[in-house]
Amino acid sequence: MTLEKLERMAQRERQRQEKFERRIFCCISTACLSAGAGQTINALQEAVDACHCKENDVEVVQTGCMGLCSRGPLVRVEDKSAETLIYADVDVDLSQQIISKHVPMRKLTDESIPEEMQELRENLKKARRRKRLEKHILGMDSPFFAKQEKIVLRNVGHLDPEKIEDYLAHGGYSALRHVLQNMTAEEVCDEILRSGLRGRGGGGYPTGLKWKSMHQEESETKFVVVNGDEGDPGAYMDRTMMEDNPHQVLEGMIIAAYAVGASYGYFYIRGEYPIAVDRIRRAIRTAHRNGILGKNVLGTDFNFDAAVRIGAGAFVCGEETALIHSVEGKRGMPRMRPPYPSTSGLWGKPTIVNNVETMANVPPIINRGADWYANIGTEQSKGTKVFALAGQLTNTGLIEVPMGISLREIVYDIGDDVPGDAEFKAAQTGGPSGGCIPHEHLDTPVDYENLSKLGSIMGSGGLVIIDSTTSMPEFARFFMDFCVDESCGKCVPCRVGTIQIRILLDKIIAGSGEPEDLNKLEDLCHIVKDTSLCGLGQSAPNPVLSTLKFFLDEYIALIPAQEPA
Amino acid sequence: MSGVSFNEAILELPMVTLTIDGKKIEAPANTHVLQVALKNGIEIPHLCYHPELSVSGGCRLCIVEVEGYSQPVPSCGLACTDGLVITTQGERLYELRKNVLDLFISDHPLDCVICEKAGACLLQEYAYEYGIKETTYTPTISSTLYQDDNPFFIRDHQYCILCGRCVRMCDEIVGVHAIDFAKRGFETNIATPYDGPMIESTCVFCGNCVQVCPTAALMPVSRKDKGREWELDHKTTICGYCGVGCQLEYALKGDEILYAQASPDGPVNGELLCTKGRYGWDFVLSPERLTRPLIRRDLAYELGLTSEPWEQPDTSPLADRQPKIEDYFIPVDWEMALDLVASRLAATVNEHDPDSVVGLASARCTNEENYLFQKFIRAGIGTNNVDHCARL
Ligand SMILES: Cc1cc2nc3c(=O)[nH]c(=O)nc-3n(C[C@H](O)[C@H](O)[C@H](O)COP(=O)(O)O)c2cc1C
Ligand code: SF4
Ligand code: SF4
Ligand code: SF4
Ligand code: FES
Repeated sequence: MTLEKLERMAQRERQRQEKFERRIFCCISTACLSAGAGQTINALQEAVDACHCKENDVEVVQTGCMGLCSRGPLVRVEDKSAETLIYADVDVDLSQQIISKHVPMRKLTDESIPEEMQELRENLKKARRRKRLEKHILGMDSPFFAKQEKIVLRNVGHLDPEKIEDYLAHGGYSALRHVLQNMTAEEVCDEILRSGLRGRGGGGYPTGLKWKSMHQEESETKFVVVNGDEGDPGAYMDRTMMEDNPHQVLEGMIIAAYAVGASYGYFYIRGEYPIAVDRIRRAIRTAHRNGILGKNVLGTDFNFDAAVRIGAGAFVCGEETALIHSVEGKRGMPRMRPPYPSTSGLWGKPTIVNNVETMANVPPIINRGADWYANIGTEQSKGTKVFALAGQLTNTGLIEVPMGISLREIVYDIGDDVPGDAEFKAAQTGGPSGGCIPHEHLDTPVDYENLSKLGSIMGSGGLVIIDSTTSMPEFARFFMDFCVDESCGKCVPCRVGTIQIRILLDKIIAGSGEPEDLNKLEDLCHIVKDTSLCGLGQSAPNPVLSTLKFFLDEYIALIPAQEPA
Repeated sequence: MSGVSFNEAILELPMVTLTIDGKKIEAPANTHVLQVALKNGIEIPHLCYHPELSVSGGCRLCIVEVEGYSQPVPSCGLACTDGLVITTQGERLYELRKNVLDLFISDHPLDCVICEKAGACLLQEYAYEYGIKETTYTPTISSTLYQDDNPFFIRDHQYCILCGRCVRMCDEIVGVHAIDFAKRGFETNIATPYDGPMIESTCVFCGNCVQVCPTAALMPVSRKDKGREWELDHKTTICGYCGVGCQLEYALKGDEILYAQASPDGPVNGELLCTKGRYGWDFVLSPERLTRPLIRRDLAYELGLTSEPWEQPDTSPLADRQPKIEDYFIPVDWEMALDLVASRLAATVNEHDPDSVVGLASARCTNEENYLFQKFIRAGIGTNNVDHCARL
């Protein structure tokens, strides 16, 4: 019953979309919105209205991130009889040019249209003569697009995140259907294990193993939690996923729940992401209405429901045990593990916590098979990784690349090098928990093992490029400051150790350091790393340690020469 | 985890054998290594762990080496499993613990020479043990907040090491949750909601948080400026307020009580007390305290014990002088008082009947005293009119 209804909805939406001669997609994701996408999409729609074209000529669609956020607002034109084009930096004026170029204007007698529209029509006619448009076309075969491989983000930027029909029309919920109809919970765990998927929240723990151990827990009540806290400064992979394709995350979550035997789940989303909260809530409501959530999911005897919990924006609340406390309504402070959440999580019940991107990987793995997935990436790190590429690069934005791609390809091909006269100096992965990777290691394949060998981590996907104008000690201090503020205060190495690291950095950067301060700094970093309770403290010294390792000369240069005795 | 006593755990859980410092030890599965070590007389430094409370893991002092692990692990949260091999002392552990203490001391005023907690302070004890005279880092005090907003205890945040014992005590055992960690990072402190005055919080002033505080961050108001720990005598006694019979300990300087606390080995109450037991002892040395039997002045006149007839004193606020206890009563010795009570009771019973008498006992008496009292009323007087105030 439910299945047929969903199939009909998908069919109807596909037919509806196919009717259009052309569809114009405008990104309304946060980066583009803040660059003015709100006006852009209005301008596109008004211009289309003014053209008075035939009913099935054109549709303007709000959609998600297309990747090159530094050039937003982005608009993509898909035309049945022409090649697909993406336009960058589309303001109101450019919107009119795009419409006048791509959409035929129907001739009308002047009396039948209101005056304002008359004016707009005149503008559109004039716009056709302007030549600015060509410069805004992004080459689809440029390395920025060509080097990427989209699994998680495949449909992001192609569908309207607020319409479940659009997700269904793109094959949405077929993985869930397959799982519920043809697979046992154990088979799902095995499939995910075989795919080699590892947690994208930073730790890289094999997702299949986590699910399996939770599956084996005997408990009537189990929970699934999707970690959408995304605390790394500058990172926005998870936000984009939740905003731009919320149903894919939800589908992953429901499959996870089936695999581990959970009947209730929470999305934990930081309060700074109101749009993500709104979209996920909307997705939950529509899924509910359509029999995808609630009692008897898709007509089977599997029951599952989900709700959103909003975090108050503490970095540490992304740590799974702190997150669990926060969902329970307590102060978000980590606790010692074991017991792991899969044994004792929310309200003492077995709970799996998985990152948004981890969940979003699940439907494609089910749809296309573990073998297909395991073929992408490296020996130990399978699939792709989404990065928020930021810092001093020509192209910044949201990218998805196969594991094992070299940093060099990301920096020089996808990122198109550091702009201006400055040169590439280092790449910082993993945000405040990660490290800096210098030029000589640019050929390192990006995967879990290789990054940690270099004293950095894969992290959740923050990737900041630093050019030669940046002082590395100051850069390290920036992240240290972050940890000083974000430590939860529970354990002394992190609460007090980080502030003492900061004090030492301040002293060195101010030029009043002594040679032994560098040793002291390094020793203290190791103490904090070795004795802190949770991942925050254990990784907080990484930016300092990795810059001490690769850019020691910059620190030494800050220490005043000693007077000979 | 919390609330399960060692004995209960022994009853319910299978036993495992682990080795601590070369010594084979049997312990119930899933009890924690620190707990088992302490029970077996093996000392491991610890600040945030408290046997009555859930595990925190925040102070990092109780780290031990575990065979097969590359990094030291806090023993307070490490579950005992079969075959676990633990080392509690060693050069690496010594250095790490010393460094952790160094960090504690960098955020702690070195006030030991004027601090009343000195001698009973755990931080001081470990600093001494690990030979820390001062910090090797830059001394930086995170909070100098001083809150004396209630008559019972002072919160002096500069001494707080954020071990969280007080928070767990209040939440897990008292069940009040009046205080919790507030703010983040170096500014973290222990606060009431919105940092309002203690009196406006849900606090019931049981003082159990004060009891478990390892430093001078929580101190009884009553001992302020009255002496150092080693000047005090500790006298163990039983609280007289109610029938529970909590064991408590008065800290005395000379004859003066400076504060009361529970002693960990109190068989009934462990380290817990209620507000009355902990703070309600000022009557002991009160000049208004009754120390001799008194009889009413009108009765005394009737009996010829005094030649002055009794008149109701003027109790108006405008009176020249306010009446005192002597205006109503005169002191007599015990013999006379008891004779009087006995003869009047006998007369009442004879003149009327036993049911015209009622006996009311006090919760401040012991069980034995109360037993005797009801026996006296029932068998001696001959009535079942006997009751008890149940609690104070
Ligand atoms: C300080 C700290 C912050 C974290 N923040 C996040 C976060 O924002 N999002 C996330 O998914 N995981 C975060 N994690 C990792 C989680 O604890 C947990 O490992 C993860 O959500 C598990 O999901 P995964 O296996 O799918 O990666 C953080 C960990 C630490 C120590
Ligand atoms: S390492 Fe930092 S964030 Fe983690 S528990 Fe300790 S103080 Fe809190
Ligand atoms: S006195 Fe008692 S109720 Fe008040 S904060 Fe302390 S433990 Fe809680
Ligand atoms: S007030 Fe005392 S018990 Fe509470 S956290 Fe501070 S030091 Fe620990
Ligand atoms: S006693 Fe174990 S960490 Fe404090």
